Amino acid sequence: MLNFLGRRILYTIPVVLIASFLLFVFVRATFDPTAKLRSGRADSAAVAREQERLGLDKPVVVQYTNWLGDFVRGDWGQSERTREDVFDMIRRSLWYTVQLIFWGILLSATIAIAVGVYSAVKQYSPLDYTFTGMSFVGLALPPFWFGLIAIELLAVQPVKWFDLQQPIFSFVGLHSGDSTGFNLDYLRHLALPVLTLTVQIIAGWSRFQRASMLDVLQSDYIRTARAKGVPRRQVIVKHGLRNALIPLVTVMALDIGVLFGGVIITETIFSIPGMGRLFYDSLLAGDATVLVAWTVVTAVFIVTFNLLADVLYGVLDPRVRLS
Amino acid sequence: MSRRNVLVRGFALGVVFALVLAACGGSDDESSTSPTNPASGSGAPDAGTLVLAAEQEPDCADWIASCAGLAWGAWIMQYQTMPLAFNIVKSGANWTYAPSNLLAEPPTLTPGPPQVVTYKINPAAVWSDGTPITSTDFKYTWDQIANSEDVYSKTGYENIASVDDTDPATAVVTFKPDQSYGPWRALFGTDYGVWPSHILEGKNRDKATKDGYKWSGGPWKIESWNRGVDVTLIPNDAYWGEKPKISKVIFKFIPDTTAQFKAFQTGEVLGIYPQPQLDAVDAIKEGLPNAKTVYTADTGSIEALWMNNAKAPLNSVAVRQAIAYAIDRDAIVARLFGDLGVDKASQSLNPPITSEFGDQQAWAGYTLDLQKVDQLLTGEGWAKGSDGIYAKNGKKLSLTITTTADNQRRELTEQILQEQLKAAGIDLKIKNQSADQLFGVTLVEGNYQMALYAQVSTNLDPGLCVIMCSSNVPSKANDNSGQNYTRTEIPALDPLLTAVDRSSDDALRDQSQAQADQLMAENQVSLPLDPLPNIAIWSDKISGDLSDNPIMAMFWNMNTWQLQG
Repeated sequence: MLNFLGRRILYTIPVVLIASFLLFVFVRATFDPTAKLRSGRADSAAVAREQERLGLDKPVVVQYTNWLGDFVRGDWGQSERTREDVFDMIRRSLWYTVQLIFWGILLSATIAIAVGVYSAVKQYSPLDYTFTGMSFVGLALPPFWFGLIAIELLAVQPVKWFDLQQPIFSFVGLHSGDSTGFNLDYLRHLALPVLTLTVQIIAGWSRFQRASMLDVLQSDYIRTARAKGVPRRQVIVKHGLRNALIPLVTVMALDIGVLFGGVIITETIFSIPGMGRLFYDSLLAGDATVLVAWTVVTAVFIVTFNLLADVLYGVLDPRVRLS
Repeated sequence: MSRRNVLVRGFALGVVFALVLAACGGSDDESSTSPTNPASGSGAPDAGTLVLAAEQEPDCADWIASCAGLAWGAWIMQYQTMPLAFNIVKSGANWTYAPSNLLAEPPTLTPGPPQVVTYKINPAAVWSDGTPITSTDFKYTWDQIANSEDVYSKTGYENIASVDDTDPATAVVTFKPDQSYGPWRALFGTDYGVWPSHILEGKNRDKATKDGYKWSGGPWKIESWNRGVDVTLIPNDAYWGEKPKISKVIFKFIPDTTAQFKAFQTGEVLGIYPQPQLDAVDAIKEGLPNAKTVYTADTGSIEALWMNNAKAPLNSVAVRQAIAYAIDRDAIVARLFGDLGVDKASQSLNPPITSEFGDQQAWAGYTLDLQKVDQLLTGEGWAKGSDGIYAKNGKKLSLTITTTADNQRRELTEQILQEQLKAAGIDLKIKNQSADQLFGVTLVEGNYQMALYAQVSTNLDPGLCVIMCSSNVPSKANDNSGQNYTRTEIPALDPLLTAVDRSSDDALRDQSQAQADQLMAENQVSLPLDPLPNIAIWSDKISGDLSDNPIMAMFWNMNTWQLQG
């Protein structure tokens, strides 16, 4: 197992290096951090000053090497756009994304597993067809559209219908005014972005869980358990679900890793400054320093969760040996 | 270890993580500056918290540096906390500069050369720590802008030779003998304000301010700035002018226009200042109950059809004029902003707020006239083909227009232009690109024929030399940093526009600008289109003089507002 982990980590390093270099070159070639100075009221020498400050007059390879040298020494540099420490920016954005992901995954996993199991156990029942239809709708719904509809139906309209002083659900950031911490205000703000995030996830995972459960329920050992008089609930949960969860858990681990790159649409609609928005804002500004650091962090999460998926698979299924 | 144990331990770990996550919810504000004591004016009754929407978050709070170009930063933080030598006020039909309460009396101007401006500082003017605002602060401000490396724009300040601070109550600003500066009223004002030398002298200004600052010389202070979330202002107790009547103002950053409107409808925010995009106009059309709205075309922004005068066939005055006569500009403006009561095109390349200067009707003669189009083009050897499009020497009169991608208003404008020009016999192709590509590469290199974008002015003075003087055509001579993207090179134009920038004689500036406007219109260097209106929306829970300011936005007099209920 340790050998396996070590090799995977070693393979990751060149992948991350190549990805960050390519992104750096792409950003430098495509986006100009001094563009805003050309479209505003800056004086004619402002662009040259900014190019010198950012080291844009050096070859791209030199710029990247300078950045890499600092990065491996723990200096993530300063944002070319905001002058903030890149480490602080990513840490802050990551925290917002983690909150969204955590609650989203918790809700998605709970509902997806429940729906998938029910659909498999009661295959072709009216409720199974209903869940199937809803899954397809969920998969087809653009998150942007769903988010705005959710705001309209669950926040804006109830204020008018019931003449409320404030909306039941809020949709600007994760807190109102001075409020902080885990409280009712936080939950009211969290509900709609989490709902928007989970719609597509639940749709996909529930289908996966249903298929996996159906496959397991057809197995010989399930038939044997039933024949031996094991209670139905025990057959489904202890024997069926535990085995059907194995492939879903690995899919979840892979999906979660990708989510750490941020959910730009949800974050934009609900004004949450997470990793997705950080990437988008930095890309538009040509802020290569932030973008490559973002790439490294996201790549690490993806690789970590990929690794976790492999390890979990091996742990949950003793027939699998990692080598 | 059995699988069961692994699962149980994994579940337990998850529960612990959830509890830790729940307890750590306070990290939302971990990036903020540390809060000061709540409400200034300790002992004063709580006059409420006002929550407003801000469409963009400033990149930094070092207003002098290159990171501080966003107008929103100026509107919600800079103008609320920095002392300004001049305010922008309405006088009759025009906007004009008025000396602020930072000054004891209007500054005196000695035209020279050298030009000298003397500022008498109000003895009551103090920083938030009680230290008087002095001429040394003027000197420090000038020095930082003229001599620092990281500066957004040194325009005007690099013309200054010295600032005499011998008398703390009097700042004597002497310009270089050959560099008088016409727009001197903008200095130490809405561009950068006046900075506190006693706090920043000897320090790294950028480091001390980029994430916000605790001092103030305006009616408000920055209590906290939660990056990505909001910025909170509280009253500055030491302010010598009209003190705020609201205990706290929170600007929440809401980048999505639709979300802004919905937040306003639910009362999450009580004021919004959206960009004049199509979805904003649509939302206003649907109705906003319990709101006061102000729409005005009297702004510092103007959208124009900028033409590359050096690129064929636009290197012909006749062709440029023909295009101007082929377009019904009023129809375009009416389509975009008619629902806001704005339906007249701009007739000058200067924005409406500079109406004290120049000929604001210079382009008024360019109205839809297809006969004139035909006359001009046939005079140049063009003839209409069987497809209705003019052609010459086997080549169609086909032009390409570009603008910033994903801007609905501009895309609609392009489509209307395409239809109108086609009806006049001119083919128009649309090829949009990112803002970075457009402003960073395309315009600089001149690889375009027509471009649609806005010019934004942040003061009341016209300043077209930067985009129309021949020395500002991007070239090796200026390291390709010139902004004369239209490649306008009219010998008689340069001295006129230079006089507008350099002379301190306002009458001469007005006359020079008028002559320049007429010259540019005769040559049809580019075509002004729509004045971009400002849209200001307040909840009826806010009372006071609620109006828009073209430079300082709807928040210009926030210290006079009150909350109802």
